[in-house]
Amino acid sequence: MSNLMMNGLELMLLGMGTVFVFLTVLVIGTFVMSRLIMLAPGNPEPESKRAGRSGRDDLSEVAAVAAAVKAVHGR
Amino acid sequence: MDKLNLLLSQSGFANLTIGPLSMIVVGLVLIFLAIRKGFEPLLLLPIGFGAILVNIPEAGMYAAPVYDAQGHLVAAGGLLYYVYHIGIESGVFPLLIFMGVGAMTDFGPMLANPKTLFLGAAAQFGIFGTIIGAVWMSSMGWMDFSLTDAAAIGIIGGADGPTSIFIASRLAPELLGAIAVAAYSYMALVPLIQPPIMRLLTTKKERAITMTQLRVVSKREKIIFPLLVLVLVALFLPSATPLLGMFCFGNLMRESGVVDRLSDTAQNALMNTVTIFLGLAVGSKLSAEAFLNVETLGILLLGLGAFCVGTMTGLLMAKLMNIFSKTPINPLIGSAGVSAVPMAARVSNKVGLEANNQNFLLMHAMGPNVAGVIGSAVAAGVLLAYLG
Repeated sequence: MSNLMMNGLELMLLGMGTVFVFLTVLVIGTFVMSRLIMLAPGNPEPESKRAGRSGRDDLSEVAAVAAAVKAVHGR
Repeated sequence: MDKLNLLLSQSGFANLTIGPLSMIVVGLVLIFLAIRKGFEPLLLLPIGFGAILVNIPEAGMYAAPVYDAQGHLVAAGGLLYYVYHIGIESGVFPLLIFMGVGAMTDFGPMLANPKTLFLGAAAQFGIFGTIIGAVWMSSMGWMDFSLTDAAAIGIIGGADGPTSIFIASRLAPELLGAIAVAAYSYMALVPLIQPPIMRLLTTKKERAITMTQLRVVSKREKIIFPLLVLVLVALFLPSATPLLGMFCFGNLMRESGVVDRLSDTAQNALMNTVTIFLGLAVGSKLSAEAFLNVETLGILLLGLGAFCVGTMTGLLMAKLMNIFSKTPINPLIGSAGVSAVPMAARVSNKVGLEANNQNFLLMHAMGPNVAGVIGSAVAAGVLLAYLG
């Protein structure tokens, strides 16, 4: 086998090894981080609820406008 | 009459040779693919146009500036010369794009299921398998690729445009044009390349596996994650800092929620501006002597191989994880590990829906998909550390 092929194989082993080691460390780090944050007091609520409420606000606004228009035109 | 002769001698008719003419045709083909077929138009259109501009004879779009002996500027260089040297040779443009990609990335699905990072790691085998393929072609005497050339070609398998351009500009600038064209073309072709491989390597029963709903990820986790990545990069692989550092910076701007203006600029205005110049500058590397040779053919073949191998190893890794995991893992999400955000994740979702029309894999596939971005940046860091 040529020298170039040997270098290529070496690079492959080194590269895949590094990628796996790094991402394994990252997986462990992420698990630990999430666990710590969930244990920490005063965990803020997920933001998704706020979006729902603003949507309803808009609807009530629309309803109020519709009622006003109807009142004006109904006269 | 002399004046007319002079004008004629500088015209396109007098100077156009077969090489630049073929490259203008290549540029037109890229523009056609972008407009008619919708192949990554944001990149292929500027690349195609850049290729045309740089190949117009006597236009001097890529002319180097001329200085006299005292260092005074005699003639300024061409636009594309400056754009290339300022933006790509320096590595600035791909890194700015990476910052924008970071600002557009939601790590939520990955944080909800961090195991999917392994899929993003497995799919990087496409990069290293292709390096072996390239050096094998050289050792057979078909091509003339050095190890650094092979590494720059292999990074196409990362399915990540800015990473490919960054690595190619560092390791093999003369191959940059072909590598960028291959990377973006195959990213556009992901919906055609991946499904047959996905169906080949999985059974119908595996494709129909439904995955458990992802948990809600808190804002704090999303803010701390980019900082965690940055610390790990600094500790383990500083050579990946340019790419991952900018990526984490963009992501932190997004998730912190206090600099929405900056995050918005990074995602939109700045990203678009840089994309225009990046495309033109990549196109300017599509000169006849650099593109019309057998190496380009090799790069296109190897790039396709890189995508296929990455898809395969991602799928196989997901199958393996499904055996050992407590919660079921649909092997189809493995193919999203090649990055190509968000196309590869959409492909996983689509193929999953074919097997089970109630099975929505998109959010599950986004985990390995963004993990693939980190994975290919890490692989890029290894290549730079080893060869740079």
